Amino acid sequence: MNDAVLVVGAGPTGLSAAHGVASVGRRVVLVEKQDTLGGAPILSGYAKLVPSGEWAKDAIGRMVKRVEDSPLVEIHKGARVTKLGGDAGNFNATLSNGKTVSAGAVILGTGFTHFDAINKPEWGFGTYADVVTTTQVEQMVGAGKIACPSDGRTPERVCILLCVGSRDRQIGREWCSKICCTVSTNLAMEIKELSPETDVYIYYMDIRTFGLYEDKFYWKSQEEFKTKFVKARIAEVTMAPDGKRLLVKGEDTLVKRPIVIPFDLVVHAIGMDPNEDNPEIAKVFGVGLEKHGFIDRDEQYTSTFSSTRRGIYVGGAALAPEDIDTCISHGLAMAMRAVGEMAASRHQRAA
Amino acid sequence: MPIHEKTLIDPQLLVQSDKLVVDGIDVSGHWNTMILPRTMTEYDPDFYETIQAFPGGENVHRCWQCGSCTNSCTMYAINTDFNPRYWIYLINLGYKSELVKDKDIIWQCVSCNKCTNICPKDVRPEGVMKALAHWLEAEGHTPKSRSTLFDEEFTRQCIERGRIEDTEVMFNFFRQTGQNLGAMLKGGWLRLLIERMNNVHLLRQGKIGKFVARLPLVQGFKMGWAMVFKPRTRSWGRTGEVLREYVEEQKRAAHAGIGSPTH
Ligand SMILES: Cc1cc2nc3c(=O)[nH]c(=O)nc-3n(C[C@H](O)[C@H](O)[C@H](O)COP(=O)(O)OP(=O)(O)OC[C@H]3O[C@@H](n4cnc5c(N)ncnc54)[C@H](O)[C@@H]3O)c2cc1C
Ligand code: SF4
Ligand code: SF4
Ligand code: SF4
Repeated sequence: MNDAVLVVGAGPTGLSAAHGVASVGRRVVLVEKQDTLGGAPILSGYAKLVPSGEWAKDAIGRMVKRVEDSPLVEIHKGARVTKLGGDAGNFNATLSNGKTVSAGAVILGTGFTHFDAINKPEWGFGTYADVVTTTQVEQMVGAGKIACPSDGRTPERVCILLCVGSRDRQIGREWCSKICCTVSTNLAMEIKELSPETDVYIYYMDIRTFGLYEDKFYWKSQEEFKTKFVKARIAEVTMAPDGKRLLVKGEDTLVKRPIVIPFDLVVHAIGMDPNEDNPEIAKVFGVGLEKHGFIDRDEQYTSTFSSTRRGIYVGGAALAPEDIDTCISHGLAMAMRAVGEMAASRHQRAA
Repeated sequence: MPIHEKTLIDPQLLVQSDKLVVDGIDVSGHWNTMILPRTMTEYDPDFYETIQAFPGGENVHRCWQCGSCTNSCTMYAINTDFNPRYWIYLINLGYKSELVKDKDIIWQCVSCNKCTNICPKDVRPEGVMKALAHWLEAEGHTPKSRSTLFDEEFTRQCIERGRIEDTEVMFNFFRQTGQNLGAMLKGGWLRLLIERMNNVHLLRQGKIGKFVARLPLVQGFKMGWAMVFKPRTRSWGRTGEVLREYVEEQKRAAHAGIGSPTH
């Protein structure tokens, strides 16, 4: 029964891979540790996605439904792989729910973990109620109301701090999380739409709205939604003497002077960490991790999306910070690799 | 090209009192020098809208601080304190007090438009420089420019009489800009102009008849007459008053808040 593909993780990457494998008539066993499918966009309640502008629950919801409706996909929720034996073409896995699975190939779509902003204590998260993360603001937008958690007032002035938990050697995170600039400029517009009286500031070192996101998000938020961009990495967030507003202090590098601006709501644009399960995943699946802690891969040109172990593929945010569109294409590419590999090994056996 | 560094301790932030005794110890003079904090907290986040209301300033909010305008600027090459990128940034964040510090150089823009041609975001920095100079003038930070004085005199006559008298416009313009008419008639460019327009070389060549025949006597008489009697356009009536109200209204609408005590 090793004509099946084992897909681990049911985020955009895993869902896309599972659909790809099923679409050519192969069986899929999909293992997801949470009780809900959909990955970060669903588990963290993102609002409208970039770049489509579609609500996450609709867009990712369709991906979930397509997989759930497929007779070729067997789904295990709330489960993990605890043991993996065998070799490429002939793996056998044991799941935490006691089931065993035979599979010809394994696809890892195990994704990322959100940076925990508590690890930048000087920026006030965990100390002040009105310091929140982009995921919390996504949820506010989803609920249709922007409010300060402390007393529910509508903020007059909001700032979004970019690169929180990214590009920071101090805390051992040397990567750019790739999507947070675009997500933040999009959130700035959504905040303004929900509350036109609110002024939104973005504190940045660089703006990395790659490809077509440049004018659709960065320029649009600045030119049409009047988002203000301050070139500064801030020093600290403290409470104003009025006990209500937060003082954001930093050096404005373009004026060469320190600036302090009072804000009602401070938002951390949190980055994408390697999945906190990666050490365990590395052990169970026998795959290597790269220096930052993401799952490592073989050379990309002819051994596309292969992990360091033959027959196990890895893609999406498990490899590096990625956006959803890219994750979806990784998923399909891995499906192609997996079914191709199985066809080849069957050929060999027949010969 | 020198590296442009602003001094971090602004002279305005240094305070010193000539006579000061603390706990019986005399610390007069430089012993008590203090530096006030240079942190900025006072700013006007809507200030860019004020600048947008002046012609040329419409796109100021688009700037992303790449510095191309400053790099290409004719004036920056001469004086590194002339920095359009910096002023545009101050406008967008509303650091008015910093802007006012540069009031004596902002107007030096020569409108070469090199900045406008190079700007990747179509901010039109040249227009912003103009708008900024006009704002400084409207707020009284800089004296009225010559072109403003000229415009004002021109407009005043239009509204009062429905017509303008060139001579009177020039006469009042010279007076308001402190140009000495007598001196100019004696030796300046005005004398040269009058001489050449009236073919004085004929007089010098002794051709008095020809000279007199070509003198615009009627024109001269008309000019003098108009200076004295200041004629109005026929049936001008209340037109001027209505015009004035309209112009005031338009100005108020365009520059809401300028010159009012809150700004
Ligand atoms: C605030 C924020 C907003 C974002 N907004 C957008 C956006 O608008 N547009 C966009 O393109 N991208 C956005 N992203 C990026 C987007 O979240 C990722 O690209 C995407 O979620 C990655 O998909 P993935 O399937 O690779 O990983 P994930 O979404 O992380 O999914 C991984 C799945 O695997 C499961 N899993 C993990 N470990 C195990 C294990 N050991 N065993 C079994 N299951 C496991 C997880 O529970 C999860 O369901 C945003 C990111 C952030 C932080
Ligand atoms: S995408 Fe932007 S906010 Fe995110 S880490 Fe990179 S530069 Fe920072
Ligand atoms: S138009 Fe003015 S600001 Fe622009 S380059 Fe010329 S001098 Fe500089
Ligand atoms: S060239 Fe344009 S975008 Fe660049 S700093 Fe100057 S005004 Fe701003």
